[in-house]
Amino acid sequence: MENLFAITGKGYVIVAADTTSARSIVKMKVDEDKIKVLSPHLLMAYSGEPGDTIQFSEYVERNIRLFQIRNTYPLGPSAAASWIRRSLAESLRSRKPYAVNLLLGGYDTNKHEPHLFWVDYLGTMTEVPFAAHGYGSYFVLSLLDRYHNPEASLEEGLATLKRCIAEVTKRVVVSPGQYKVKVVDKDGAREIEI
Amino acid sequence: MSRSYDRALTVFSPDGHLFQVEYAAEAVRKGTCAVGVRGKDVVILGVEKKSVLQLQDSRTVRKVVMLDDHVCLAFAGLTADGRVLIDKARIECQSHRLTVEDPVTVEYITRHIAGIQQKYTQSGGVRPFGISTLIVGFDPHDSRPRLYQTEPSGIYSAWKANAIGRSSKTVREFLEKNHKDDLSREEAIKLTVKSLLEVVQTGAKNIEISVMESYGKVTNLDLSQIQAIVSEIEREKEAEAERKRSRLAATAAGQAAMESLATESSR
Amino acid sequence: MEAISRAGTVLGVLAKDGVVLAAEKKVTGKLLDLSGAKEGGYGGSGEKIYLLNSNIIGGVAGITSDANSLVNYARSAAQRHLLTYNEDIPVELLAQRLCDMKQGYTQYGGLRPFGVSLLYAGYDPHYQFQLYHSDPSGNYSGWKATCIGANNGTAQSLLKQEYKDDLEVKDAIGLVLRTMSKTMDSTTLGSEKLEFAVLTLDPTTKEPKAKIYRPAEIDALLESEGLAKKDEDTAKRSA
Repeated sequence: MENLFAITGKGYVIVAADTTSARSIVKMKVDEDKIKVLSPHLLMAYSGEPGDTIQFSEYVERNIRLFQIRNTYPLGPSAAASWIRRSLAESLRSRKPYAVNLLLGGYDTNKHEPHLFWVDYLGTMTEVPFAAHGYGSYFVLSLLDRYHNPEASLEEGLATLKRCIAEVTKRVVVSPGQYKVKVVDKDGAREIEI
Repeated sequence: MSRSYDRALTVFSPDGHLFQVEYAAEAVRKGTCAVGVRGKDVVILGVEKKSVLQLQDSRTVRKVVMLDDHVCLAFAGLTADGRVLIDKARIECQSHRLTVEDPVTVEYITRHIAGIQQKYTQSGGVRPFGISTLIVGFDPHDSRPRLYQTEPSGIYSAWKANAIGRSSKTVREFLEKNHKDDLSREEAIKLTVKSLLEVVQTGAKNIEISVMESYGKVTNLDLSQIQAIVSEIEREKEAEAERKRSRLAATAAGQAAMESLATESSR
Repeated sequence: MEAISRAGTVLGVLAKDGVVLAAEKKVTGKLLDLSGAKEGGYGGSGEKIYLLNSNIIGGVAGITSDANSLVNYARSAAQRHLLTYNEDIPVELLAQRLCDMKQGYTQYGGLRPFGVSLLYAGYDPHYQFQLYHSDPSGNYSGWKATCIGANNGTAQSLLKQEYKDDLEVKDAIGLVLRTMSKTMDSTTLGSEKLEFAVLTLDPTTKEPKAKIYRPAEIDALLESEGLAKKDEDTAKRSA
């Protein structure tokens, strides 16, 4: 089952996603990257219906890029999130809606603060200090309720994330083995090994 | 009289000209000059920058723009038309990536732009775009620099070096005389600046240079760098003139000596 | 273009901490009902200066009816941006939106171009305070201080002489009023001939705050700047 987690901390957002691509009970692939870097300071993790995720995330990626090329500066996290939510909401009301859930982590370079948005396939969006999608969320959210600290350093944040992953691996019946982790802060987005 | 919108504005004259297209070309000839030069593994775009008025914000006066990570465009002609055409091209760049997962090739986007320009010479109720463009860049997975030109009529062509806009004929002739294959980065930049100086009298502050060195690597030279190149060129020109003068003086002196010798011997 | 060079002057000056816009009203007369303008109106006092969005004020010069439809378009464009991105439209983007439309009117057949130039004074987090000018052909550019409409040449050169970088809003207000009084056809300034607006940041919320002056406030401002007209008319009224 697919899991997406994200945590904000002092000046950063960590986004993690499992790397399995499955069909029914079969694992087809174990090195899938489900986190797209949309712009220098924006990450998007996605899960959902396999074809839809790719189609929608690429569509989003190209449109965010187009905005950046047109205006020389990229969309801010909240503006980008609003646009993406709107695209999903419009898709929901079309003949064939996208079934995609998202976590958007970004760093606002104007106000110098991190932002995290939780978006689901119904076009629900909310800004949160930490977020999760998938079966793992039932464990992770309670864990983060207890351990999340908005002032935590990146090391502490990563430690909390590791705790979450360990808990999910321990408790969920079909839990994915590996995770990809990306961080966005004032220096931009990058991948981190855990 | 037909009130329908599909009445073409561009129609053939009895002797086979499309006047609207030629007027558009006229708008280009009035535009500021832009030069493109292809080197061995580098391609340069140089534009004549109209003097920014004292109270104007120079950030908003752009002549060289990016279409995508690896394609750059300069235009001459009506700025507003340019903006609209550039926007269409930028959308196509991203749309192409979305549909075939690959960035556009320089030729592809050139053909696309030229196609749009052509459409506006033939469709009903529209006038042609009053701009010519120079498009430079590198194709994905390729190290050869590319340089293309498009015109209001929709013609596009590949070049080693070319100029559009005001006095482009003079500049093109200059380039024809001075362009060599396999120019290095510095030589190519210098040739671009030199050719622009043919039409830009005011020197470095009215010149803008963009250098593309490989896929997605673009740098804009700042004023001091351009100034340095301009003064180097001026020094060379002066040295050349000096040499010429001294040579003239030498021949004159030689002649004088001969003459005096002749008079002496005749005496 | 010709229509614009005869229209009432609109003048804008960019300062470090704000933007100032002033315009000369052309439709005046003793019998004109200005009671609507008395309140200052949500969109401005009537003729030349309009609130385009909460972070942008626009000043128009040219054919008034065209201007009305452009202002309408600008407001819709700004709201459309708010709807999709949940943020105020950046100033340059709004100028671009209008210019794209203006350019379209010059290229597509059967339509006459808009006979309007605009000044946009606004704020966004990307480039802070900005001042843009757009003309009927669909060109736009950013300025520190500029002027459109009648006598724009004179005003422009006056501004060039007097403008200093790092100007503050209160200096900019003075500069705008002084330049206005020198360029306007009438010898004296008064609220019936002048529209005035300032865009600053609200000191507490740090959000852009547009203030379009009401007639009484304009008179008070002119008074404090020492540029108020001193003819019998005002003397009588104040008495």
